[in-house]
Amino acid sequence: MNGTERPPSADDLAAMAYVDGELAPVERAAFEARLEREPALVREVAAQQRLAVLARSVAPREPMDLEWRRIESSMEHRVGAPLGWTLLAVGAGGLAAWCAFEVGAAPIGIVPKLLTAAIAAGFLLLLLLALRARSRTKPFDPYDDVLR
Amino acid sequence: MILVTTDAIPGREIERVIGLVRGNTVRSAPASEDLHAWFENVVGGEIPEYTRLLAQCREQALDRVVADARAKGADAVVALRFVSCEIAEGAAEILAYGTAVKLKG
Repeated sequence: MNGTERPPSADDLAAMAYVDGELAPVERAAFEARLEREPALVREVAAQQRLAVLARSVAPREPMDLEWRRIESSMEHRVGAPLGWTLLAVGAGGLAAWCAFEVGAAPIGIVPKLLTAAIAAGFLLLLLLALRARSRTKPFDPYDDVLR
Repeated sequence: MILVTTDAIPGREIERVIGLVRGNTVRSAPASEDLHAWFENVVGGEIPEYTRLLAQCREQALDRVVADARAKGADAVVALRFVSCEIAEGAAEILAYGTAVKLKG
């Protein structure tokens, strides 16, 4: 502990006890009722749970971990990986745009064009909804940091 | 909470068996990691993205077993087992299960 750390508050201690399963049934029910209406307390529980999972899954580093870090920090990797992803994204995006243009310009009726547009719009909408849900639940997922 | 894969806990006596407790989860890696893993699959060796994915599943399933056991008033889970399967392309399921028991003393 260094000088800048604050002592744990009553809520911190309660969150730790909750995550560790140390609350009596009545205390647990009361704490869960508070969780329903206090987002800050939910975040505290998520932070404590993340620590508990990390503490449990700490394993000695393997030589390969160090080599992976060296590879990832090498110039080839730092330049090559973003370049590779950019080329893939540009290629896929360009291909999708070209397909959309070709479908739009194709000598087919309006109905197939509308149906194709509906499929593309539905796909995008569902993808955006999944992304939104994931981005909102990710901060409360304590398993994201588990490595092995 | 004591978690063991054996049927008994040496030095402790089981007062009563509470019953089956279980926890499962299905997780997937982001598409970008799947794609990266595909390249690693081509060249062979460990695929860290999937090692991590299964480790995350394992820890989450284990936590759910512990939560189930706690809710049933258990002190320990014996005969703990893990099973896994692929439920969809790139998604892994892990089920952890065991027998919740109340210990004497």
